[in-house]
Amino acid sequence: MTEQTKQGPGPSTVLDPELKRTRGTDLVSIVFRFQSVFALVVVFIAAIVFSPVKNGDLVFLDPDNLFGVVRATSETGILAVGMTLVILIGGIDLSVGSVLGLASVGAAVLLVNNDFGLVPAVLIVLAIGLVFGLLQGVAIAKFGIQAFIVTLAGMQIARGLARIWSGGQGITITYGDGANQAPLTFSLLGERTFNGLVPIPALIFIVVAALAVVLLRVSAFSRHIYAIGGNEKAARLSGVPVTRVKILVFGICGLLAALAGIVHAGQLNFGGPNDGAMYELDAIAAVVIGGTSLTGGRGSVVGTVAGALLVWVLRNILALNNIDSNIQLLIIGLVIVLAAGLQRFRPESAG
Amino acid sequence: MTVRTRRVVVGAALAACALVATSACGTTSENSGAPKSGGQQSAPKKCGKDGSYTIGMSQANVAEPYRQRMDDDIRAAAAGIPQFKVNFADAAQDNSKQVEQVKTFLTQQIDLLIISPNEATPLTNVVKEAFNKNIPVLVLDRKVDGDAYTSFIGANNTDIGKQAGEFVGTKLLPSGGKIAEIRGLAGSTPAKERADGFQQGIAGKNIDIVATADGDWLRDKGQAQADAVLKAHPDIQAIYSQNDPMAEGARIAATNAGKPDLKIIGIDGLPIDAGGIKAVEAGRLSATFVYPTGGKEAVAAAKTLLVDCGKVEKTQTLPTRLVTKENAAQVYAEMNKQG
Repeated sequence: MTEQTKQGPGPSTVLDPELKRTRGTDLVSIVFRFQSVFALVVVFIAAIVFSPVKNGDLVFLDPDNLFGVVRATSETGILAVGMTLVILIGGIDLSVGSVLGLASVGAAVLLVNNDFGLVPAVLIVLAIGLVFGLLQGVAIAKFGIQAFIVTLAGMQIARGLARIWSGGQGITITYGDGANQAPLTFSLLGERTFNGLVPIPALIFIVVAALAVVLLRVSAFSRHIYAIGGNEKAARLSGVPVTRVKILVFGICGLLAALAGIVHAGQLNFGGPNDGAMYELDAIAAVVIGGTSLTGGRGSVVGTVAGALLVWVLRNILALNNIDSNIQLLIIGLVIVLAAGLQRFRPESAG
Repeated sequence: MTVRTRRVVVGAALAACALVATSACGTTSENSGAPKSGGQQSAPKKCGKDGSYTIGMSQANVAEPYRQRMDDDIRAAAAGIPQFKVNFADAAQDNSKQVEQVKTFLTQQIDLLIISPNEATPLTNVVKEAFNKNIPVLVLDRKVDGDAYTSFIGANNTDIGKQAGEFVGTKLLPSGGKIAEIRGLAGSTPAKERADGFQQGIAGKNIDIVATADGDWLRDKGQAQADAVLKAHPDIQAIYSQNDPMAEGARIAATNAGKPDLKIIGIDGLPIDAGGIKAVEAGRLSATFVYPTGGKEAVAAAKTLLVDCGKVEKTQTLPTRLVTKENAAQVYAEMNKQG
């Protein structure tokens, strides 16, 4: 499908904001599009300024510390990439934290209790996340139930499944070739690579984010997503396969939640039925700070990645300065409100 | 517009910075100059009366009064030792977050780690990492896997459950009877251990647990579950609740069900106004069992290791204590004496 065929009947400005977005080059629109990138830079500089000093070195800039931040960001980030797609079509997915818990249990049970090989276990868990997301998508797109309600139910269902599958107890993952042991390769998720510096979860996050950026830049799928988020009715009238795209987007979000769950289990050597609680809110926060509009149609994965990093850089520098955890909550909350508030000033014409 | 936009962005960051600045951006004690000792893993990098020491305290969550009290006990005990400065972190029941917080402590080069793990396995590696860096690690209340830590300090959940069972079997319902059990969060170790211990305690005592329900350690959840249990089993004679807040919830449910005299026992026995000891004293609970936080003992162990250059036992099991109406006031006073 080309630009021209799509722009036939509907109001093209609403139908294809992506096309317009790429043309908006004035400073204002760039600042708004990448507000979280600018904010991240500011927070990063602030973190350097306020970093504790140890033996003449800034603790914050210690490579170990920086890569620790990136590692911590990776789970939130993987969830947030999926969440960005969902929010771009004007939806929301409250189930991702529970699906993460379900996937971490699934990985542990399959690898340890059922002695599955690494590849089948990972594929099965990813498939569970995908199917879970697709089913939610069907309920939303085909039966017209609100995404908030469907995924709120999905959140409970995934948590229930995780507790049933694990028998209520967390499952410890031990490594080796013997019976009831996970393959050693799975433990790499808790390791680092490239001169022992870059954590593997961070690499996975980078790959996921890069794929999503490419997806949102080049594919017809991308134009469909922005079109649905901009004006679903107009998109439908102009021939966008709305139902199919919506189902697929929720499927991708579920798949990424399962991937985050696998990473989670690998890092902690543990499948925790109660793990991932409230992670959906961290992911939504990253998306909002990233400048994606909760009403859909506007936003970017790059913004989300910066948003997720910003939250964790902030947490890191606050922790390094021993700020009370309750004050930390307060500060992160203020940042979310500020980021959302900024969007009010976003000029409509700058898209 | 552009200027305004920038101003808002910068303002946001500055607001955050200002809040950071309100606290002291203090550095932890300088200790990397000290040579790393080789083989002896558990020996701290430095010790002695003249030093100053930063202790990192990683708490599983502070939403539960019991854990808030643990932090308070540590704070109070450490205030008496001028060489100590304690940094607190709250993991909010999140394994991943707790790992992250301990790693941040390691970046800060703390001199000693006190940790009350959210769950054992996920925290094992990072505790080992600290231990292998010659940072003494005191594990409080919940264990980690293996033995890469300096000392475990805590009471025994199975034992406290067993005592509760024995109390129900011999004192509360000596001629037997039907009871209900309100459990903590499904899947948590203490919930399982307090249940298993209770079974051992009532073994052969003609006590019949006719209903069990998960109250997730929470007062309101405990009340809702007790409500349902009392409707389904109006003939129960007592409720065993795995902690005091759920027991308080069960008391409300029992009163609502027209059974204000139903026997209810709890566990934790926190010596605070809203705690179980006061509830026993006021007659809302028939009994509770003191499950010590270990905060005071942890600071004492830290002092032995860092200030006195001494050694501590690998496992320090804290005694539990039965609290009934007769001794409640006395136990309360004793526990707050040195606090």
